[in-house]
Amino acid sequence: MATTIEDPLRTGAARGRSERAARAGVGPLERQRRRVFWPFAAPALLVYAVLFVAPVGYALWTSLHRWDGMGGMDWRGLQNYTLLFRDPRFRTSLFNTLELMVVGGTITFVLSFALTLVLREMRARLFARSVLFFPSLVNGMVFGIAAGFLFSPTGPVNRALELFGVTTPPKWLATDNLLPMVLGTLVWTATGYYTSIIMAAVDQIPDHLYEAAELDGAGPFQRFRHVTLPCAWDVIAVCAVLWTVSSVKIFELILLYGGSTNAYPPVSSWNTAVYVYTEAFPQGTVPRLGTATAAAIVSLAMVTLITVVLRRLLRREPIEY
Amino acid sequence: MSAARIVGAATAAALVLGVSACGSGSGSDAKASGGFTYWSMWRADEPQAKVIKAAIDDFTATTGAKVSVTWAGRDIAKKIGPAIAANQAPDLWDESDDKVYGTTAAAGQALDLSPVLQLPVPGEDVPVSHVIPAKYFDMLPKDPSGSNHYVIPYEVVTNAMFYNAADPAVAAAMPTPPTDWAGLLGVCDALKAAGKACIASEGEDPWTNGLFLDYLLNGAGVNVAELSADRSGAAWDNPAVLAAAQQVEQLVRGGHLIEGYDATKFPAQETNWTAGKAAFYMDGNYVTSEVARQVPAGWKMASILPPTAKTPDAGLFGFAIPKRARNAAAAQRFIAFFLQKKHLSGISTTALNITPRSDIPAPAELADVQKTLEAPSLRLSFDGVGGSWLPKVLNENYLDLWHGKSTAARFVATCRADQVTYWQTQG
Amino acid sequence: MRRTNRPTGLASRIGTAAVWTVVAADLLLVLWILLTSLRSGPDILRHGFGLPTSPQTSNYTTALDEGGFARAALNSVLTAGLSSVVAVSLAAPCAYALARRRSRTASALTTAFAMGLGVPGQVLVVPLFVGLSRVGLTDSDLGLGLVYVGLAMPFTVFLLTGFFRGIPGVLEEAAVLDGAGPLRTFVLVVLPVARGGLVTAFLLQFVTAWNETLFALVLTNSQGTVTLPVALSSFVAAQQFNGLDFGTMFAGVCIILAPMIALFSWMGSRIIQGMTVGIGK
Repeated sequence: MATTIEDPLRTGAARGRSERAARAGVGPLERQRRRVFWPFAAPALLVYAVLFVAPVGYALWTSLHRWDGMGGMDWRGLQNYTLLFRDPRFRTSLFNTLELMVVGGTITFVLSFALTLVLREMRARLFARSVLFFPSLVNGMVFGIAAGFLFSPTGPVNRALELFGVTTPPKWLATDNLLPMVLGTLVWTATGYYTSIIMAAVDQIPDHLYEAAELDGAGPFQRFRHVTLPCAWDVIAVCAVLWTVSSVKIFELILLYGGSTNAYPPVSSWNTAVYVYTEAFPQGTVPRLGTATAAAIVSLAMVTLITVVLRRLLRREPIEY
Repeated sequence: MSAARIVGAATAAALVLGVSACGSGSGSDAKASGGFTYWSMWRADEPQAKVIKAAIDDFTATTGAKVSVTWAGRDIAKKIGPAIAANQAPDLWDESDDKVYGTTAAAGQALDLSPVLQLPVPGEDVPVSHVIPAKYFDMLPKDPSGSNHYVIPYEVVTNAMFYNAADPAVAAAMPTPPTDWAGLLGVCDALKAAGKACIASEGEDPWTNGLFLDYLLNGAGVNVAELSADRSGAAWDNPAVLAAAQQVEQLVRGGHLIEGYDATKFPAQETNWTAGKAAFYMDGNYVTSEVARQVPAGWKMASILPPTAKTPDAGLFGFAIPKRARNAAAAQRFIAFFLQKKHLSGISTTALNITPRSDIPAPAELADVQKTLEAPSLRLSFDGVGGSWLPKVLNENYLDLWHGKSTAARFVATCRADQVTYWQTQG
Repeated sequence: MRRTNRPTGLASRIGTAAVWTVVAADLLLVLWILLTSLRSGPDILRHGFGLPTSPQTSNYTTALDEGGFARAALNSVLTAGLSSVVAVSLAAPCAYALARRRSRTASALTTAFAMGLGVPGQVLVVPLFVGLSRVGLTDSDLGLGLVYVGLAMPFTVFLLTGFFRGIPGVLEEAAVLDGAGPLRTFVLVVLPVARGGLVTAFLLQFVTAWNETLFALVLTNSQGTVTLPVALSSFVAAQQFNGLDFGTMFAGVCIILAPMIALFSWMGSRIIQGMTVGIGK
């Protein structure tokens, strides 16, 4: 993942110059920077190491054992991992994780691009953007509670559809529609979030580029393709990575939409995060923390791999303006 | 882990030293005067909490022992394991029997409370074993040491089909409770003719809906725990299993479940049921407290078991003590203290639930239920099957059957196949 | 920023309509939650949608008092606020050092921080609980705050590193030539310029900590230490066995939402702009 962070940071013209100057000779500034590097970085590193890296290491260690979280650990080597891959429920969970990531991501970004087309030119766009961003600040529990009312057979969504002549609306809350509903909520919150970020980048593109494109007879789509996309590429690329890593953590939504007070959501709708949760907090039996952490480590490995590949695919020469 | 053990031992040692060093310091209060810590499954604003709180105050007044209470709420089941791992567990906590078993007893982390049964109930001159019937313990699974006395109940529940006996449509359709499955279907047909749905069901919930199957299997002499434990899956070939699934299917195909049940979330159908849109609602008897604020005036709560069921199921809410508790003896004394009639009655009068003591009458709306619980033997719902078997094998296949997307035969076949793979991955 | 008043195409008009539909839906949802929080529980169950006939402010007093939301709100403000301040003050110098130094170590460390972005919280729960209990920090807002500081590190460092790279080095060169020491340069020259980024990082961390549920659920127990999401979750969980007063619950939802709404109508565009600069450079 080394490249993932380095590249976007290398862009930007103003920086380039001072960087080059600094690298050419070891000036006083560079010496100073070298001197303060550790004092400046150490506190955060220490906190990160103690509160983040160490627990991950402990989890990795746990994944090689059988452990109920209370008694002693029994060494199991890689057996937890082999069992995981033999469990069709885990394979479904992996597949669902990927589905949420890819399908959700595609829809979210296509919509975000469409919105940037519109939002650049419409009135009161700052207000609209703020409202679109808002759902990402809302605790997931609120959606779970609201959905039961909004999408009930006699709820407002179906009433609104009736106005448009839809007499047999889908059974929104049925088990079959669980993943689509989760996906819909995700797309709704994420689209606002990423549109807002991408739009802030678009705001920084100088107007003269758009004007020039218009003079050349470019329509809105061409302007998007030849001006917006390349100029905001860095931001879009980072957004894609952020989506990838955050999509793996989706968890509360599935539990809230699909679970009941007595039971977990139907197993065909689990993703790896739910799988981890059900192994770590099972009902009526002791926790299986070995398998739980093994599943978590597998999903961590998967997301790391995908991120690296994604960064490679999205890498482009920076555009200066 | 060994390093962790050393640290743990060091902590324990430090505590002991601390206790002896500061004598009557605040930290050692609990130990010095027979006090203890208690984590409750109830929130402070719930009626059960008020009953327990009153008993604790009385306990402190009588014995001088201080009790430090945390009203943790239902999430306690998620916290107790990590707390035990970290040696931070309370001396006393409470939950339903399956949660106590699952989170602690199954791993050998719950104290055997047999001594409590020998303690005298304060002011009543009899031991605890005299007032808490043995049948409540006999139905529990045994922990690794072979004990089933890891939870001492103060509230008992059973699952049944609840209905409003004051509803004329129900009274007309069911003059006497049906004695066989055909009889129940007959009641449903009569209700349908009268324009009322037979059963209100939260379609998303495999547990309450699964109770129909559970009771039918019980009636047919099939033990669900044994069914689930068969690694070969052959137990599913028992014709009685298919027959029970077919009876469930009759309810679904017959249109006896309330309209739209597969497209709502809890508590939508419970609300519809209290509004009189359906006759029966399958749930634990705590449903009476759940809906107390919604039911219309004149509602008369009554219940029946699905016909043919042989043994009613029961669930316990009770006290448990972690094996690593530091003040177990004091906590045990409190358990016996709480079970005396004057305190335990509050569970019936204030919290409107049933106690394990048969000499404490249940609230009026639960009179039927208390009679059900007087059966000579009881069992756990789903015969106590635990762990991920329910979510990974039964639940989703059953919901498919319940939603009419599958047939009884297909339900049995998929469960059988899923059970084989399930056991292969349990290592 | 430019305004176009030219007639736009059909596609664009449909798009504009779609945007306003979504905006309206978002606003209506918030309005509905607000109105519902003023209705009585049984009334809500009978009709999910309706106007409060006689506004029940008692929902709020019940929520704050019996529901424990008042204490929880205080805990949330303290935990989220302080942990965010600490997280940003730890991350800022580190991000600055990483942004300015172009060595192998620096880039390896940057990567190490970014890797943390992909770690699911479930991995960390049990180890953190065991660790915190060893030092007696379970069921304490201090412990929870510490955990939030740790959890904040990957994203905050990631965001601020980008931010500091966007600040021209010329300023520092000038300061150094004037004889300023490194700490002075950082505090007096770099930080003021990076103020926008710091505020963004703080706000985003505040929002995350405010809404965080999983760790708060496991790491705090007593009604004196829980934060708002735990108060809500435990209030909802009590619906099993004792019934749920939906009016009070919606009041609780509003108590969680209100600061987010206030914060966002006040600082919304600033957060968004700050984020773009941070992650884009």
